[in-house]
Amino acid sequence: MKDFQLFSPTELEEALDLLTRHCGQMRILAGGTDLLIRMRDGQVQPETVLDLTRISALHFLRQDSNAIEIGPLITHTEVLCSPLLNQETPLLVQACRTIGGWQIRNRGTIGGNLCNASPAGDAVPPLYVLAAECTLASRRGRRVLPIQAFFHGPGQTVLAPDELLVGIQFPSPQPTPLQFFEKIGQRKALAISKVNMAFLGWTDQEGRFQKVRIALGAVAPTVVRAVRTEDYLVGKRPTADVIQAASDMIETEVQPIGDIRSTEQYRREVSGELLRLGLAKCQKEEHG
Amino acid sequence: MVSRTVVGQSVDKLDGPALVTGQAVYTDDFSLPGMLFGKILWSSRAHARIRAIDTFAAERLPGIRLILHHGNVPRVAYTTAGQGFPEPSPYDSFIFDRKVRFVGDRVAAVFADNLIAAQEAVDLIRVEYEDLPAIFQPEEATQPNAPIIHDEEEIRGAFDPGHNLVSHLDLKIGDVEQSLAQATYQAEGTWITQFAQHVPMETHIVITYLDEWSRLVVRSSTQVPFHARRIISRLLDLPIQKVRVIKPRVGGGFGGKQEILLEDLCALATLRTRRPARIELSRKEEFVSARLMHPMKIQVRLGADSGGQLQAMEMRVLANTGAYGTHGSTVFFNTGSKTLPLYNKASHVRFVGDVVYTNLPVPGAYRGYGATEGYFALECAMDQLAAKMGMDPLLLRRKNHIREGETSPIFIKLGEGREGVDQTVQSCGLDRCIELGMKAFKWDEKRKNPRRIGSDRARGVGMSILMQGSSIPRVDMAAANLRMAEDGSFHLFLGATDIGTGSDTILAQIAAETIGLPTQRFTVHSSDTDFSPFDKGAYASSTTYLSGQAVYKAALAVRKQILGVAGLWFHVEPSTLEICQGVVFNRQGARLTLEEIGYRSYYLADQQQIEASASALSQASPPPFSAHFAEVEIDLETGIVRPLDYVVAVDCGVAINPELARGQVLGSLINGIGFALSEELLFSSRGVALNPNFLDYKILTSLDLPRIEIIPVETNEPTGPYGAKSIGEICINGPLPTLANAIFDATGIQMKEAPFTAERVWRALKRNE
Ligand SMILES: Cc1cc2nc3c(=O)[nH]c(=O)nc-3n(C[C@H](O)[C@H](O)[C@H](O)COP(=O)(O)OP(=O)(O)OC[C@H]3O[C@@H](n4cnc5c(N)ncnc54)[C@H](O)[C@@H]3O)c2cc1C
Repeated sequence: MKDFQLFSPTELEEALDLLTRHCGQMRILAGGTDLLIRMRDGQVQPETVLDLTRISALHFLRQDSNAIEIGPLITHTEVLCSPLLNQETPLLVQACRTIGGWQIRNRGTIGGNLCNASPAGDAVPPLYVLAAECTLASRRGRRVLPIQAFFHGPGQTVLAPDELLVGIQFPSPQPTPLQFFEKIGQRKALAISKVNMAFLGWTDQEGRFQKVRIALGAVAPTVVRAVRTEDYLVGKRPTADVIQAASDMIETEVQPIGDIRSTEQYRREVSGELLRLGLAKCQKEEHG
Repeated sequence: MVSRTVVGQSVDKLDGPALVTGQAVYTDDFSLPGMLFGKILWSSRAHARIRAIDTFAAERLPGIRLILHHGNVPRVAYTTAGQGFPEPSPYDSFIFDRKVRFVGDRVAAVFADNLIAAQEAVDLIRVEYEDLPAIFQPEEATQPNAPIIHDEEEIRGAFDPGHNLVSHLDLKIGDVEQSLAQATYQAEGTWITQFAQHVPMETHIVITYLDEWSRLVVRSSTQVPFHARRIISRLLDLPIQKVRVIKPRVGGGFGGKQEILLEDLCALATLRTRRPARIELSRKEEFVSARLMHPMKIQVRLGADSGGQLQAMEMRVLANTGAYGTHGSTVFFNTGSKTLPLYNKASHVRFVGDVVYTNLPVPGAYRGYGATEGYFALECAMDQLAAKMGMDPLLLRRKNHIREGETSPIFIKLGEGREGVDQTVQSCGLDRCIELGMKAFKWDEKRKNPRRIGSDRARGVGMSILMQGSSIPRVDMAAANLRMAEDGSFHLFLGATDIGTGSDTILAQIAAETIGLPTQRFTVHSSDTDFSPFDKGAYASSTTYLSGQAVYKAALAVRKQILGVAGLWFHVEPSTLEICQGVVFNRQGARLTLEEIGYRSYYLADQQQIEASASALSQASPPPFSAHFAEVEIDLETGIVRPLDYVVAVDCGVAINPELARGQVLGSLINGIGFALSEELLFSSRGVALNPNFLDYKILTSLDLPRIEIIPVETNEPTGPYGAKSIGEICINGPLPTLANAIFDATGIQMKEAPFTAERVWRALKRNE
C-alpha cells in the first residue's frame, strides 16, 4: 500500500471542509472493508484519506414520527442488534445478517455498502423496497434523492467529489407488510450474492396483495425493481399458481450477466425462485 | 490387551501453547539483518519460448541486488517432487528454462532490499516470447500432431515425452472383457474431477542464510526437509554437508509442501550475495504456481453375478498433470492401488491409463493422493450397480469388500509408479465400521423416508466405503533418536515432520508409553537436518505407522539402558524391574527415579549417555478402513445441495491420540466436502486462472457443514506401533462418492462431474426434467 495522509475529523463541517479542499484527491473511509482491499492491491492509491468514524453526527439510528433514519456509519451488526429495525424492517436485518462474517459486519457500514455501489450489495435491495431516500451533504448544501437516483451503474453513484452521504431515511412500513430478503451465494457466509431479492407486500383482509415492491440485486448494472411483477401481484392472493406466474415474470424482468460465479441463465431462472422461496418461508412463519 | 497409560490418551499437543499464544515459531516469524526479499516473475504465456529477457531497467532500480533467469543459473534437470531417491517423478524441470509451459511458470526472480522494490523490478523486466501452440484439454495431449510440451533433450523418466505422456500403464488380471460380457449386471460411467488447491493457511515460504561456517541454512515451510536438502544439494552442486534444512512449525501442507518450490531460488540468492534471502508466495501465487490436485477423468466398468458378487472391475484413467510431471505417475498408480483391492472378490481386473502433460498449472501430491478421484468413480459405480440390482448399496458392499486375512493381487502389481509389495490384511474393522456407522446414521430408517419434501425439495442418503495405506513399503525409511538428560527428561530428535498434524505429540506418546513416563517429560525436535536422524517426511500416511515404529524401537533400547543402570544400583537382574510414571521399582517395592538414574549415569558411576537411535522400514502398507454415510437435501429449483448429516466410522488400528485422530478425520472430511461441493480452480480458454483468490474460490465455512459424527472402530494392527495404522488421508476420499450417492438417491441423477455446485446440480436436474 502506498503512503497516504489520514484525516480523522470529529465534526461533519470539518469533514466537508477537508473534502472541498482536497477535492477529487481524497478517499472516504468508513468501515474500510471495501476501500482498504482496493488500496492494498493498488486499485486505488489516494494521497489523502478522510476517516469518518469519529464523526458522531453520522452515527445514529432513530425514529421520528413515522420515518426511520439511519446514519451512514451504522454497522451491519448494529442493524442486527437494533430492536427498532427488528420490529419494523426485519428484511433489512435479514439482509445485513448475510453480509460477510462477524468481523466484516462489525466494521462494514450501511453507508459504505451504498456508496460502494456494488450491484450485489446486500443492504441495497431492502432499502429500495422501503423507498429509502439518501441525504447528501457538501459545503454547497444538502440534497435528498430517492435511492434509485443515487446509483449510476456498477461502482458508480451520483456523489460529487466534495459530497458525503449523511443519512438514509424511509417511512416505517405501516401496517406491517409481508417481507423478506433472500440471497443465493456460493456458500452460507462470506459470499457475494449471485442474486438477491427484497420483497415488501401489503395484503388486505382477504389476503390479496394491495401493494407490492420487489427489488433484485446482482442481476443488472444496479439493483432493479421488478415493476411488472409487482403490478401483476396486486389484487391477487399468493397461491401456488400466482407465485409460479410471478416467478416466471421476474425471470423476464432481470438482465443478468454471466461471470465466473454463475451463468446468465442460472441467475435469470433462479432470481424467480427467490420469490417462491421467500414467500414460502413467510407463509410457514404465519402458520407457525 | 495390555494396559496402556499414555497411548490411547488424548494428550494435549506439545506445541499447542506456543501456537495459540503466537510465539515465534513459523518460518516467517524470523527476520535477519540485511535480508533480501525475493519476488518471482511468472509467465503470462501458456506455452512459449523465451527469445530474450531484458533486465536493464529492472537492474537500475535502487535496492535491486540480484536478478536470476535462465541465462545465469545452472541448468540441471530435476523434479520438484520431494520423494525418496531416485524419485519416481520425471526429471522435467529446471530452475529456469528457456521455455515456459503454463501461465504462472517461473521466468525470473528478483532479490531486493525490500519487497516493494522487488515487485517494481519484476514489473520492469521485459520478456520477448515466441508463442507456441498450447494444450489445455488432456484428451488433446496425445493427438498425433499435438505440440510437444517437453521437447528438452535432458528430460528423463517420463514414459513418452514425445507424446506428452508422463506415465502409461495397462494392467490386466484375468479377462475383464469376457467377464463383463457374461456378468448378469453391469455398471458403467465416466467420472470427472477438477483442479483444486490445498489452501494451507500458511503459503509456501523459505528463508535462507549462511551460518558462521558458511554453510547454507534453509528455513522452509516444508513437509520433506531431507528430500529438500538432497535436491538443493544436487541442483546447486553443493555437497550435502554444506546444506542444513530447518523445518519450523508449518501452517498446513496437505501434500502441497511435498515439493521443492522456492528453496533453490533463495539458496542461489544467498550463495551469490552472501545475504539472507526470503521468498513467500502470495495467495494468488499459491493458487497458480504452487501445486494442485490432479484432475482426472475415470471410466469404471463393473460386472456382477446374479447374487451381487463382483466378477470384473475396470478402471480407465486419464490424469492431467499440467506442465510438469511431479507426482504424476505415483498419484495415478495410487488411484488404482488404493481403491481396487477393496473389492478383492473380483477375479478379473484391469487398470489402464495415461498421465499427460498440458499447458496448465501443476498438480502434485494432495492428501488422498489419487485415491480421492478413484473412489469417486468406483463408489458411484457401485451405487449404480446396486440400483440396477434393486439391492441396498450397503449390502452390495458387504458382499464384496476385503476382510482380515485376505489379500488382493493389486497389492503386488501396483506400487509407487512401479510394482508394489505383496501383503495380507492383518487388521480390518470394515465390517464393524459399516455396522456401527449404519446404526448411528439410522440407515435403514432413513432409506424408508420419502424422498420428496414439498414441491421443491428432495432428500436422500448415500454411503461409501474406503481404504488407504500406511507408508510406502520397502521404499521409505524413518529414524528417531532419543536421549536422556540427568533430570530424567528426554530429547526426542525426529526427522518426522510435524506440519500441524500433531505427530510430535503422538511420537512422544509412543516413546513415553514404551519407557513408562508421562509425555510432558519429552522435548521433541523436528526437524533439522543437522540434528534429526533421517526420515522421509510427512506424506503417504506414514508418520504414525512408520516413524512410530522407529520411535518405539529407540524407546525400547533406551528403556533397556535405564533398567541396566537400575539393575546395577539394586544389584538385580534388569528384567525383574518395572518402570511406572518415571520411577523404577524392584520386586521389593524400592524406588529409583529417572532423575537418580540420570545423575548417576551422567556423573557418579558407570558414566554413559543413555541414548538410542533406531530406524524402521515398513514391509507392508496396512490399510486403514472407513465407512461414510451422508444425508443431503437438495433444493430442486436452485440446485443447492445441503449436507444435513454425516456419519463416519473409521478403523485406524489403535488411535495413539484419539482427539488428534479425530482432528485428522474432521479436517480431511471438511476438505473433502469442500472439494465435493464447491472448490474448483477455473481457467480461461488461454489457460489463465480465473479465481485464484478467496473471493471466488470458496472453501467451506463451519456454517456450510452438516452435523458430523465420528465413530472410532479400534482394531489391532500387529505390524504397527501399539497397533496403530494411518489416519491422515483416508477420509478425504469419502465425501465425493458419499454425497454423489445421496444426490442419486434423492433425485435419481448421478452427478459425474465435481464439484456439485448449485448450478451444476440445477443443470443436471433441468436436463432430467
Ligand atoms: C470478506 C468480505 C465479505 C463481504 N461480504 C459482503 C456481503 O456478503 N454482502 C455485501 O453486500 N458486501 C460484502 N462485503 C463488502 C463490504 O463489506 C460492504 O459493502 C460494507 O458494507 C462496506 O462498508 P464499509 O463501511 O466497510 O465501506 P468502506 O470500505 O469504508 O467504503 C466503501 C466505499 O464507500 C465510500 N464511502 C463510505 N462511506 C461513505 C459516505 N458516508 N459518503 C460517501 N462515500 C462513502 C468509500 O469511499 C468507499 O468507496 C464484503 C467485504 C469483505 C471484505
